[in-house]
Amino acid sequence: MLARIEYALRETWASFRRNLTLTMAAVLTSAIALLLVGATFLIQRAFENLLVQWRGDVAMIVFVRSDASPEQVALIDGTLRAAPSVIDVDKLRYLDKAESYAEAQRIFVGDPVTLSLLTPETIPTQFKVVPLTEDTDLVRSLADQYRTLPGVEAVALAEDEFEVISTLSGFVRNVTLIMSLVLLAVAIGLIWNTIRTAMFARRREIEVMKLVGATNWFIRIPFMLEGLLQGLIGGVVSCAGVWALNSAWSGGVAAFKPGTGISSLVVPAGYLSGVMVVLLLLGAAIGAIGSAIAASRFLDV
Amino acid sequence: MIKLDGVTKIYGHDTLAVDDVSFDVAKGDFVFLVGPSGSGKSTLLRLMSREEVATEGDVWVAGRNVCELPPSRVPFLRRSLGNIFQDYKLLLNKTVFENVAFALEVIGKPRHVIREQVPFVLELVGLADKSERFPNQLSGGEQQRVSIARAFVNRPLIMLADEPTGNLDPATSEGIMALLQAINETGTTVVMATHDHRVVNAMRRRVIQLDRGLVVRDQERGVYE
Repeated sequence: MLARIEYALRETWASFRRNLTLTMAAVLTSAIALLLVGATFLIQRAFENLLVQWRGDVAMIVFVRSDASPEQVALIDGTLRAAPSVIDVDKLRYLDKAESYAEAQRIFVGDPVTLSLLTPETIPTQFKVVPLTEDTDLVRSLADQYRTLPGVEAVALAEDEFEVISTLSGFVRNVTLIMSLVLLAVAIGLIWNTIRTAMFARRREIEVMKLVGATNWFIRIPFMLEGLLQGLIGGVVSCAGVWALNSAWSGGVAAFKPGTGISSLVVPAGYLSGVMVVLLLLGAAIGAIGSAIAASRFLDV
Repeated sequence: MIKLDGVTKIYGHDTLAVDDVSFDVAKGDFVFLVGPSGSGKSTLLRLMSREEVATEGDVWVAGRNVCELPPSRVPFLRRSLGNIFQDYKLLLNKTVFENVAFALEVIGKPRHVIREQVPFVLELVGLADKSERFPNQLSGGEQQRVSIARAFVNRPLIMLADEPTGNLDPATSEGIMALLQAINETGTTVVMATHDHRVVNAMRRRVIQLDRGLVVRDQERGVYE
């Protein structure tokens, strides 16, 4: 067993070096494809920070002054519930100070200045309103009405803030997703071709191996490991790229004026490491797929 | 050890290579397959090592019906066979030692077995002092000896030789034949395809003559006609 493992590793490494130009091409392509996949994840996550407060069909948010009295809050609540034909009363949600503060921490993740001004005591609480109607004019007129209630600080409408970002985010997601899928396919193709070339270069050896009774798996495994290694190295390179991109972006965002929304477009470090793990796994997977196809189809050389 | 029963092989749609051939080869036998080019000698050898599958009939090798062998079992059939060829099929980037060791390595034999067995067979074929040479630094006869060493190192039950003396001069051929005879004397069955009159006539062993895919003669202690 040990002899077999040693053989497989030795052959993998030898073939890896022998084919350096093609190997580099395959590694770089997978790295770029994976980088794009990683960027897609990060962009989506960053947009989500902006969109988090509108999650679940919320179309209107009524912000309540932090110094409003419980009676004023009850009045607002009552007013909202007084329009059950327009507002989905079951989905009406009131976020108290603690919940509002937790949400703000996501929205202002890249904006420490604003975040430091907010405390659980000073933050406005909010009602999240899900309308039953599609009629935006009706919702807008309701919003105008709520603005006049005592204790209301502001009323925000999804139509004004959310939809542009949502459309933009959807567009960016589609473009990056399609591009990364195409590039992933190209990467698999290149790894496939590299392994096929490696097998062709060693067809005499493979012929002799089959002749003396080597099993197909014994012949295949070094080639499959080679593809796996290529994908994995591509994954490592893309991780470095994603990390560098994210650092540069976070640094740039910090320089933006607070409160512009751009500052929400950053991701927490934990999420970044998660993306990196996904990229490594994905790299290994494309390497394995490309080489497995090649190794099973071109054994009869 | 080998049994062919009504074996027919058609390549493509209509190229008849072997036509209803039946014969038995007993354990320890030495058999020449003779006949002109294209008479089906090589095809018979390839049927035995399962490089080809018979169109009709059964081929039994070492107790196994190779026609019905699932592809995953073919490597294990090959481990009981030793193949040698006219063009040696050596790996030019490996030394003599490595070429022979390769045959053990790729069937997963541990290193101590390799270190023990390879020098032993190289001694047997008379190349102990050339184990670090590369094939290009050897004569044709020496290269064929390496290929025989590689075929024999796994102690096969059967040696299949396809024109092993085809590229060699008479004196060198004699040496190769003496080696094959020595291997045969260890109990290994040898089947050799050839159209080399001299070696067949010198050995006086069983001769199966083929012509256009048909067996036209099967004779103990025969000669090439």
